[in-house]
Amino acid sequence: MLKKIRQWVKRHRATSTSTTALDNMPNPKSPGEQLLSDCRLVVLDLETTGLNASKDEVIAIGAVAITGSGIRLSDQFDLILKRPELDISETVLIHGIGPEALTHGHETEEALRFLLEWMNGDPILAYNSAFDQKFLEKTLKAELGYTRHHTWIDVAELLPTLFPDSPTGGRSLDHWADFFGLEISARHHAASDAMVTAELTLIALKKAQSAKVKTLAQLHDKLRYRRRLTRIHSV
Amino acid sequence: MPETSQLSTRPQNTRAIMVFLQAHAPFSSMDDDHLAHFAEHATLQFFADGEEVLSPSSGVINTFYVVKQGRIRGERVNDKTDSPETTFEISQGECFPVAAIIGERPTRTLHRAVGDTFCLSIDQDAFITLISESEPFRDFCLRGVSSLLDQVNQRIQTGALASMGASTSLSTPLERYTLRAPVSCAPELSVREAVGRMHASNIGSIVITDDNQTPKGIFTLRDLRTLIAQDSCSLDDPVQEVMTKAPYSLPAQEDAFAAAMLMAEHHFGHLCVTDDENRLVGVVSERDLFSLQRVDLVGLARTIGTATDLQTLVSLRTDVSRLVDAMQAHGADSGQVVKIITTLNDVTVRRVLELNIMKRDPGIPFTWLAFGSEGRQEQTLLTDQDNGILFETPDGMTEDEVREVLLPFARTVNDELAECGFTLCRGNIMAGNPKLCLSKREWDDWFIRFIDTSTPQNLVYSSIFLDMRPVFGSTGPVHDLLQKVLDRISNNALFQKMLAGNAFQRKPPLTMFRTFRYVCDGDKRSLDLKRQGLAPFVESVRVFALAHGIENANTLERIDALTKKNVFDTQDAHAWKDAYSLIQAIRMRAHQEMLKRGEELTNYIDPDDLNPLDRRILRESFRQAQRLQQKLEVTYQL
Repeated sequence: MLKKIRQWVKRHRATSTSTTALDNMPNPKSPGEQLLSDCRLVVLDLETTGLNASKDEVIAIGAVAITGSGIRLSDQFDLILKRPELDISETVLIHGIGPEALTHGHETEEALRFLLEWMNGDPILAYNSAFDQKFLEKTLKAELGYTRHHTWIDVAELLPTLFPDSPTGGRSLDHWADFFGLEISARHHAASDAMVTAELTLIALKKAQSAKVKTLAQLHDKLRYRRRLTRIHSV
Repeated sequence: MPETSQLSTRPQNTRAIMVFLQAHAPFSSMDDDHLAHFAEHATLQFFADGEEVLSPSSGVINTFYVVKQGRIRGERVNDKTDSPETTFEISQGECFPVAAIIGERPTRTLHRAVGDTFCLSIDQDAFITLISESEPFRDFCLRGVSSLLDQVNQRIQTGALASMGASTSLSTPLERYTLRAPVSCAPELSVREAVGRMHASNIGSIVITDDNQTPKGIFTLRDLRTLIAQDSCSLDDPVQEVMTKAPYSLPAQEDAFAAAMLMAEHHFGHLCVTDDENRLVGVVSERDLFSLQRVDLVGLARTIGTATDLQTLVSLRTDVSRLVDAMQAHGADSGQVVKIITTLNDVTVRRVLELNIMKRDPGIPFTWLAFGSEGRQEQTLLTDQDNGILFETPDGMTEDEVREVLLPFARTVNDELAECGFTLCRGNIMAGNPKLCLSKREWDDWFIRFIDTSTPQNLVYSSIFLDMRPVFGSTGPVHDLLQKVLDRISNNALFQKMLAGNAFQRKPPLTMFRTFRYVCDGDKRSLDLKRQGLAPFVESVRVFALAHGIENANTLERIDALTKKNVFDTQDAHAWKDAYSLIQAIRMRAHQEMLKRGEELTNYIDPDDLNPLDRRILRESFRQAQRLQQKLEVTYQL
């Protein structure tokens, strides 16, 4: 991982450090006729200094990729950003990233460029994705001036859509992980949370296939349909 | 391979997979770098319940899987019934398909997920890198399926060895003990000179050989002691006058266990080792075999065999238990240990009989029979009496008259054996029972009735009386009797089928979902390792053995004999022997632990007390019992 980033940094330092490099970033893909069984999906989780997107900051990014219905460990992203100036006292107990780890983190700009390139414009899945989307887009804009939108899919929405009425006892990531008997190696570690989210996604995708949901567009429609139903019911 | 780096600089998810792998064989013995190589190249896949993971039609295998969560079932279509049957089960931490990826061929078995299942997989390139760079991984893959069982055996032994100090294994060939050239002499040499040679080489025995180096006799320090104490001959007499003639010898290829058993049976301390042409190549002493042991088998057998009263015999029983502990430590597998226990029990039974004959000889030639587990030579520390008498009716006496003389004698023996720790048989299957103290003719009649009228009670008895062995007295009549019984059974298809049906009743303790089926025992969950675990093997194997005229009663030896007769497939036989021996090993370890805690011995264990590896082994062993029963089911169309 570190080696890859170093190589990437070397390559890019030589060309440019300005915003012009952003034009060369991969284009975000919209949900179309990509087959769920072989398209690449990014599953991401952020650790932040708090819950307020307007004042809190991203401190760690963990992500894995699903390709061909499998999670390839060779294709993953696990970084703590270098943000020593941030106050993390509020959340340090939850995610266990202390000031020392943050100073050993990576230059934020480099890390974010690498992330964009690594994500390759592929759809991003996250648990309660609105939260991660807000933080990531804010950070990308502030640090790189990057304003393009990726396709986001909320796994917290995907699971009840495909497994309606499952007696999970709650709607959190932990509830669903417990329901399927999954183990989380280190809860509130971005990469580890991303991993378990991806494992839940694999289960959901398998279910989607047996329900004849084959393409990303079909999945998107199904989620939208459920959202509308929920809205009607809540009214 | 990746450059060597600290575990902590690896991504969290890679680390998590390494930690998972480390909890399972063979990964537990692999280097971190090799585990990292696996984790970094791994793909995690999900399979829904009932989904096909691999099938014979998926082509040449180029992926190697480890179950991360859930289970995989192997299915093969039975040619006879045309329906799929489960051939194996792969649970968390286990790998597949080892043989197919090594052989670069398609798998022969359909692999199907049972429940929500996650598997880690690596492709062929990563697999080849690991095979070529990691020795534990290579050993594991090349040794194949039995290797997991081997590891458990190794662990049982190393665990026990840790407290004993390093030692040699009982399966060591005898030639390893013969590094030192044997000290020998000609028959004409004087006793004085022979002892001089022993003294010069600082050894306890000398072998007397002829011109061809063939052993003719042996002379030991023990013999010298007797010689001087009894003052029976001069030290200048030729050694051949005082040597023990025709000493026992074994070929150099035999193992230490065979030597130990021979010594224990005949109560001597030295054994000649010979080459193919029966020339002396070495001498093995009990000391060589058990150099580090506090209690030794041969010495113990000798002490029991020469005890002068019952109290001594009773007190020696604790030594037997200590010996069993030591034997397990020395790497004896459970099959060997049960034979040792049986051998020592035989010596005890014989000595009790001898002491009683000395006191009050009934004057009637008889053979003492052992039935059940003693008959099968499968006794453990928890054992009760199943015995009988076969007598010859002296001229001028009726059978009932003989019984009048023999029964009081037999009852005394039964009681004394009970004092030695062989519990009285609750079903009164003992020599003191007039129904089991019979002449040869009566036994023959008894078996005819037994086989021809297969009542439910007879079928229950079959597990006892059809495993029969002479322990004391003449063996000829028993052999004749057994031959007739076997002939009768192999010609009686109905009896075989009823036996098979009876054996089929004893189901291994697994539920449909492959979890343990417990016996109700208050609050505690428990498994009966004897009735639920071993009995399905013993009973099924007995049916096949009797149907094919095999006289031997020992379950492992019956399996070997059935394999030789092509009744059992070699690989199946191997798996069944392993499974049976492992259940036995776990049972005996539990006995030793109960003994140490001063508890009464039972055959019940709570699987939760076992470590995860042993639990898995136990489950797999029970599954092998199910397979053996399936064979019974198909053979006898139950």
